Amino acid sequence: MSTVTRNPLVLGNKSYKDITDDILAPVEAPPGKRWFALFLSAKMLFLFYILHIAYIIATGMGLLGVNHPIGWGTMIITFVFWIGIGHAGTLISAVLFLFRQKWRTSVARSAEAMTVFAVMTAGIFPLIHTGRPWLDFWLLPYPNQRGPLWVNFRSPLLWDVFAVSTYATVSSVFWYVGLVPDFATIRDRAQTKLRKTIYGALSLGWRGSARDWSHYEMVYLLLAGLSTPLVLSVHTIVSFDFAVSMLPGWHTTIFPPYFVAGAIFSGFGMVVTLLTLVRIGFPQFKDYITIDHMEVMNKIIMATGLLVGYAYGSEFFIAWYSGNPYEVYAFTNRAFGPYWWAYWTMITCNVVIPQLFWFRQFRRSIPVMFVVSIFVNIGMWFERFVITVTSLHRDFLPSNWGMYAWSWFDTAILFGSFGMFLTIFMLYLKFVPAISIAEVKPVLYVGKKRPNHGGGH
Amino acid sequence: MDSQNTQNTSDSNTTSSGSAYWMSLEQWNGDQALADRFENEFMSSPLSSEDGKDGVARRDFLKIMGASLALATAGCIRRPQAHIIPYAKAPKEITPGEPNYYTSTWFDGTEGAGVLVKTLEGRPIKVEGNPEHPMTLGGLSARAHGEILSLYDPDRLRAPVRNLQNKERTNKESVATTFEEADEKILASLKAGGVALLTGSKPSPSLKAIVSDFSKAFSGARWVQYDSLPVDAIRAGQKASYGRAILPRYRFDKASMVVSIDADFLGTFLSPVEFAKQWAKNRAPGKDMSRLVAFESFLSTTGMNADDRFRIRPSQQLDVVLSLISRVAKLSKGSVVIPGGISAAAKAFENAPKALGFDEVLFDKVASELLQARGSSLVIAGGLPTLTETQVELQVAVNALNSMLGNDGKTIDHDTAVFETMSGSAESLQALIADMAAGSIKTLIIDDLNLNYLLPQDSGFSEALKKVETVVYTGNRNDETGSASQWVLPAGTGLETWGDFELQSGVFSIQQPTIMPMYQTRSLGEVLLAWTAKAANAPQRVKSAATWRDYVMGVWKAEIQGSVELGSGKSFEDFWLQVLQVGVASNKGRRERSGSGRAFVGSISEASLKARPAVGAGYELALYPSVQIGDGKLGNIAWLQELPDPVSKVVWDNYLQVSPAMARKEGLNKGDIVELKVGDVTVKAPVLVQPGVHDSVVALAVGYGQKTAGKVGNGVGVNAYPLSSLAKGKSIFSGRAATVTKTSGRYDLVSTQDHHLMEGRKIVLESTKSAFEKDPSSGIHKHQIFTIWPEHQYTKNKWGLAIDLNSCTGCSACVIACQSENNIPTVGKKYVMQGREMHWIRIDRYYKGSPDNPDVAIMPLTCQHCENAPCETVCPVLATVHNDEGLNDMVYNRCVGTRYCANNCPYKVRRFNWFNYMKKREEPLHMAYNPDVTVRPRGVMEKCTFCVQRIRRGTNKARDEKRDLRDGEITPACAESCPSDAITFGNLNDPKSRVSKMFENKRSYKLLEELNAVPRVAYQVRVRNADRVMEANSHGPADNHDKSHGDDVKKDDKKSHGLLKQDVNEKTGELV
Repeated sequence: MSTVTRNPLVLGNKSYKDITDDILAPVEAPPGKRWFALFLSAKMLFLFYILHIAYIIATGMGLLGVNHPIGWGTMIITFVFWIGIGHAGTLISAVLFLFRQKWRTSVARSAEAMTVFAVMTAGIFPLIHTGRPWLDFWLLPYPNQRGPLWVNFRSPLLWDVFAVSTYATVSSVFWYVGLVPDFATIRDRAQTKLRKTIYGALSLGWRGSARDWSHYEMVYLLLAGLSTPLVLSVHTIVSFDFAVSMLPGWHTTIFPPYFVAGAIFSGFGMVVTLLTLVRIGFPQFKDYITIDHMEVMNKIIMATGLLVGYAYGSEFFIAWYSGNPYEVYAFTNRAFGPYWWAYWTMITCNVVIPQLFWFRQFRRSIPVMFVVSIFVNIGMWFERFVITVTSLHRDFLPSNWGMYAWSWFDTAILFGSFGMFLTIFMLYLKFVPAISIAEVKPVLYVGKKRPNHGGGH
Repeated sequence: MDSQNTQNTSDSNTTSSGSAYWMSLEQWNGDQALADRFENEFMSSPLSSEDGKDGVARRDFLKIMGASLALATAGCIRRPQAHIIPYAKAPKEITPGEPNYYTSTWFDGTEGAGVLVKTLEGRPIKVEGNPEHPMTLGGLSARAHGEILSLYDPDRLRAPVRNLQNKERTNKESVATTFEEADEKILASLKAGGVALLTGSKPSPSLKAIVSDFSKAFSGARWVQYDSLPVDAIRAGQKASYGRAILPRYRFDKASMVVSIDADFLGTFLSPVEFAKQWAKNRAPGKDMSRLVAFESFLSTTGMNADDRFRIRPSQQLDVVLSLISRVAKLSKGSVVIPGGISAAAKAFENAPKALGFDEVLFDKVASELLQARGSSLVIAGGLPTLTETQVELQVAVNALNSMLGNDGKTIDHDTAVFETMSGSAESLQALIADMAAGSIKTLIIDDLNLNYLLPQDSGFSEALKKVETVVYTGNRNDETGSASQWVLPAGTGLETWGDFELQSGVFSIQQPTIMPMYQTRSLGEVLLAWTAKAANAPQRVKSAATWRDYVMGVWKAEIQGSVELGSGKSFEDFWLQVLQVGVASNKGRRERSGSGRAFVGSISEASLKARPAVGAGYELALYPSVQIGDGKLGNIAWLQELPDPVSKVVWDNYLQVSPAMARKEGLNKGDIVELKVGDVTVKAPVLVQPGVHDSVVALAVGYGQKTAGKVGNGVGVNAYPLSSLAKGKSIFSGRAATVTKTSGRYDLVSTQDHHLMEGRKIVLESTKSAFEKDPSSGIHKHQIFTIWPEHQYTKNKWGLAIDLNSCTGCSACVIACQSENNIPTVGKKYVMQGREMHWIRIDRYYKGSPDNPDVAIMPLTCQHCENAPCETVCPVLATVHNDEGLNDMVYNRCVGTRYCANNCPYKVRRFNWFNYMKKREEPLHMAYNPDVTVRPRGVMEKCTFCVQRIRRGTNKARDEKRDLRDGEITPACAESCPSDAITFGNLNDPKSRVSKMFENKRSYKLLEELNAVPRVAYQVRVRNADRVMEANSHGPADNHDKSHGDDVKKDDKKSHGLLKQDVNEKTGELV
C-alpha cells in the first residue's frame, strides 16, 4: 500500500455541530432573495411548460415537429436525456456505496435527488407523447373488462414502462430512506410546531437508537444492492426501444452498454453543473463538496466520455464491416447528411471537449468544469437527437425521406422540462438537507487521529 | 353484523351440532345466521338491504348518484336535437347498410367515363368505374372520383342569384332570386331574339335535341361550343387531310409502336383512362410487347412511361413529324411514298434530327420501327402543348405519316366510333365574340364555362360580354363570368340530374340522378326545356315532355333504341330498364371496325413553314392541364389539390417547370419566384426545377390561380390562362416566346417526395425486353433468407396483392379511389410541408440517369401486410395485430398513439392522425363518408387495410349464399379504379386465382425482401422496351449473385446516379 494520503473529505476542521449547522442552514433559515429569484423563474418556466403540454394534449401531437417519417421527436429525445441524467445519482449513491467509496457521502444526496427529479421529469414524456394520453393506462397490465385484453409483452415500450417505473420507485425509496436520520435531526432542532410536525412525520419516528441505526444500515445496504442492477438495466431497456426495432441506425447490439455509458456520462455532467451552482449558492457547502470531489467526478466524465466516443467509432466500424448498405448509409448520413451539424455538435461536446480533463488544472477549475459539464449536457441531448431523428429521417426507401419539422412547441417542451426539474430542485434545496448529515459525520476525523495511509478503513 | 339475531337463535338450533364436520364453534353451536351465510355466496345481497335503514341505502345511493351525474353534465353543451324518421313505407330497393349502385356517366368537358355511383340510403358516397362501359371498362381517373366532392361542395351556389349590374356592367349587388322569376324575365328577352348559347362540348344526344328545339323555338338561337382544353386542331387537321372534321378514336390496343408528340394520352389528353387501358394491354412483356416513344417539351405522365424520350420545344413538333416522314420514306427505299402535298415540306426537314440535337441513331431507330410496324403503329399529337401557331399543320403532318404507314383505318378509327360530338371550336367562338361586340347578340346563355377566367385578354370576350343585354350563366359559382351575368342559375352536378352521353359515336351512356337535387338547381337541359316549353312555337316533343327525364327518354326512344344492339326486338320500357341497369348501349360489332385507309389530300406549303415565327434563343412557353384538376373546374376539390402530381409530386400548387440546365444558367432554385412574360402578359410564378424539361421550355399548368373556386381552391397557384391567346380562329397555348426574370421573392412549393434517387437500392426493379426474353426473372436479385421459425399457417383465406410495375402509369387514380373509399382526410398544404399527408397508397417516383432527360421509375406503395410484420411486435397495447387471413389489422379503438409501429415500418406506410382532421370537415362534405369505414379520431395510427370492409362484405355474401368465394369477387378500391389494371387482389390459398399466378410470375419480387418481413404485396418487374436502361440498371441476369451487397450497391451507385450527383443538393437530396 502506498503512503499517499488522500485529502480530507471535509475541509475546515469541522465539529459535528458545525456540520449540522452548515448543512441545515438553508433549510432552517428563511430563503434568501437569490433563492426566491431563481425559484420564481424556474416556476414560471414550469408553468409555461404545463400550459404548452395542456395545449398539446388538447390540440394534438401535430403541434410538435414529429411527422412522417419521423414518428418520435423532442419528447422521446428529452425523455431519454432526462432518464440518462438520472443515472449518476444511483451510481454514486448505490454502486459507490457498495464499493465503500467514502467520497460519495457529500455528493450522494444531491446526486440522488437529481436522479429522482430527473426521472420525474422524464416520466412525463412517455405519458404525453402518445396520440391519446388519456388512454395511457392501457400500457399497464391490469385486470380489465376488455376481454381481458393484455398488453404486448413483446414490445420494448412495455419493458420501458416497467423499467422506468421500477427505477422511479426504487430510487425514490432509496433516497427517502437515506433522508430519514436527517429529517429526524431537523425535527429535533425545530423551533416551530409546524416544522416539528412535518419533519416528525417525515422522519418516521426515528429515535437514533442503535437498533434504529442497525435496521437503517441494513435497509440502506439492501436498497443499494437493489439499485445497483437498475443502473445498468434502465438505460439498457431504454436502449431496447431503439435496438429491438429494425431501423438502420437503431438496430445495433452496442446500444445497451453505449446507452449506459452515455447515461452515466450525462448524469455526472449534470451533477457537476448542479453542484458547482450549489457551491456558489451556499458557500458553506464548499467545505463538504470540495474541489477533490469535483475532480473525481470530472475523471468519471472523462472516462465515460471516452467510452461513448469509442461507441461512436465502433458504430461506424460495424456499419462498414456489416456490409449492410442501409446501415452504411445511415451512418454516413449521420455524419455527412442534412443533420451533420447535430452529429458534429454531439462529437464536439461529448468526445472533444471532455478531453480538457486530461489536465489537472482544468479538472480542478470550477469555471472550466462548469462550462464542460454544460457542453456535456448539450452533447448528450444531441446524441439522442442524432439517434432518434437522423435514423428515422432517412431509412430504407428514399421516397420516405424527410426532415423533422421543428416547431415552437418543441422548443417549449425542451426548455419547459428544465423548468420542472429546476423548480423541484430549488424546493429540494430549501426543504431537504442537500448533503447527508448522517453520512458526512462518520468520514470526519473527530476524536480520531488522521491515518497516514489512505484507502483502507 | 346482526349480533342480536345470532344470540337469539343460538339456543334453538343446538341439535345440528352433531352433524359431520364443523368449521367453527358458531357452526357447532348451530348458529342460524351463519348457516344462512354458508348458503349465500355473497355476504350481503344488494337486494336484501332495506331502503332507509342502513345509512345510504342502495336506491338512495343510486338516486344521489344519478342526480349528481345529472348536475355534473347539466353544464355541458346539449347535443343538437336530431330526429330519426323511419320510412313510413320502405323503398323496396333499399336495405339499410347495403349499398345500391346506379349506372351513370361522368364527363368533365373532355374526358368521360362510365361510372357506377355507390349510394347508401339514398346518399351517393363514391363513384366507381362501370366495367360494362366499352371505353373505360371499369377504370376511373382521379378526377372522376372527385365528382362526389363536387356534389357535396360547401361552396357551390344553393339557389339562383341575380346580379344587379352597374352601368359599366360590373356587379353592383347579388340578390337571391327564384327560378320562376328568372324564367319570366329571361323568357321575355329570349322572345326578343338575338339568342346565343355558349357551352363546352356537349356530347349528349338529348342536349343536342333540346338545343335544336330551343333554337327553333327562339328564332334560330345559335349554339356555339368551345372547350377549355381545345381539341379543334385535330378536327381541322382531319378536315384538311381527309375532308371530314372528326376527332378520331386512337386505338392503342392495336398499336405495337406508339409515337407521341407532346400528347399526354396517359395523363390528360382526351380519354386517358380508355387509352391507358388499351395501351397497358399491349405492354405485357414478351415478344409482342409494344413500344412507346415520346417527343416532349416537358416530362408528362406519358413521358414517364416512354421507352425512349426525346426533348423538343413545342415549336419543333412539326419539325419532328416532318423529319420522321422523310426518314421513314428514305428507310423504306421507295415502298412508302410521301404524299404529294407535303413532300416538299418533308424534304426541307431531312436533316432536322441533327439540328434538333437528337441522337440520330436512336431517331433512325424510331423511324425504322415505325416502318416495321406499318399498320400497327400510331403517331399521335394533341393536347395543350401542341396548340402552337402551326397546330393544324402539325396535325396534317401527323395524318400524313399515319397514312404513309397505313395506320389510318387500323390504329386510327375515323369511321365508326370517333369522338364525333366533341365539337368545340375556337373559330366559332371568335365569330360569336365579334357578334357580341357588334351588339347583335341580345341574350347569351353560358353553360358552366367560366370564360372570363379561361379566355385570354386578346380574345376580347369580357369586353364583348358587356355589350350583351342579358347574360344567363348556369355555373355553380358566382364567379368571374357569373358576376358579369345578370342571372346565375346553378346547374348542379351530374349526380343530381338526368342526362345522356355519346362520348364516342355509337356509345350511348346514361346519366342517372342518384340523389334529389340538394339545392335549388336545374341542369342546362332542364332550363332549356322549361324555356322552350313556354315558347309560342314549341316543338311537339317538348310539349309532351312533362319533365327533363321524359324528354331524355323520348330522345332515346326515337333516336337511340333503333341504332344499338341492346334496343332491338324489345319494347322501349324493357330497353330503357336495361339501359339503366347496364348504363350504356353500344354496338360491339361496330366498335371492332375502324374503317379503311383514306386518301390523304392534305398539304403543307413551304410558305406556311417559312411564315412560322423564328425559333430564337429565348424560352418557349408550354401550357398544360394538370392530372389533378384538369382545366381547373375541379379546383375546389381538396382530394385533387392534395393529390401529388404524378411527375413532380408537388401538391396544392402549379409552378413554372424549368430544366436543370436552365436553372443553372439563370441561377434559379426551387421556389424562386420569377416573372414570366409572354406577349404583353406578365405572370409571377414559383419555379420548380424539373428533370426532363427541354432546356428552352418553361411549362406551367392551367386551371390554378382561381379567385372564385371556393375555400379550397381560391388562391392555389397562379392563373396561366392569360398567357394563352385566342386569335385568328386558333387557341394558342404553347410555343409562344417567353422571357423569364428572376425576382427576389421566394415561395414554398411542397412535394410529398423530396428525394428522387434510389441511392442504388433495389427498390423499383427493371429489366429490358431483350433481357426478359432471355431470362424472365432478369432484374431480380434474390436473397438467401434464413429463419429458425416455422412459417405462419393460413388455413382459410390468404389475401395478397400484386402490383405490376410494368402496367402502372403513375396516373394516381388509385390514390383518390382509396381516399374516397376509406374516408381519408386531406390536411392542407402547410401540413403536407410538415410531412403529414394521409394517403394510404402513395406513388413513389424515382429518376435515373441524366437529369436532363431521366428515366423514371414508378412504384405504388401501400401497406405490405407483412407476415412477420415489424409494426406488430412493437406496439405495446396490441393495437395492430395479424388476423388469420394474413391481414395486418389496425385496431383504432385500442391505439394509444405511440407511433412506434410507424417508426419500425420499413416501408413507412403508416399514417398518424396528428389532429382531429374529421372535425374540420365542413358540412355537407361529411355526407361523402363511407359508413363501412371507421372515421378515425385524433391520435391514432391508420393505414391500408386491403379494404377489409370489402373483404368482409364479400366473404359474408359468399357465406350467405353458401358458396365459395369467386376469384375477383373482392376488389379493393385501388385495384378497382386502376385504368391500366396494374393491381390484382385475391386469395393466395387458391392456386388458380389471378393473384396467385401473379405471385408465381417470374417477374414477381417482394420489396425489401432481405428484411424477411414477408410482405403480402408482390411487385412485378418493370420491363422497358429499350436496351439503354440496362446500362444504367446494372443488375442484369448475368450478374454474379455471390457478390456481397456492399459491392453491388457501390457499383450501382456510380452507374445509376453518377450523372445526377452534380444536380443534387447533397444535404437535402433535392434537385437544385
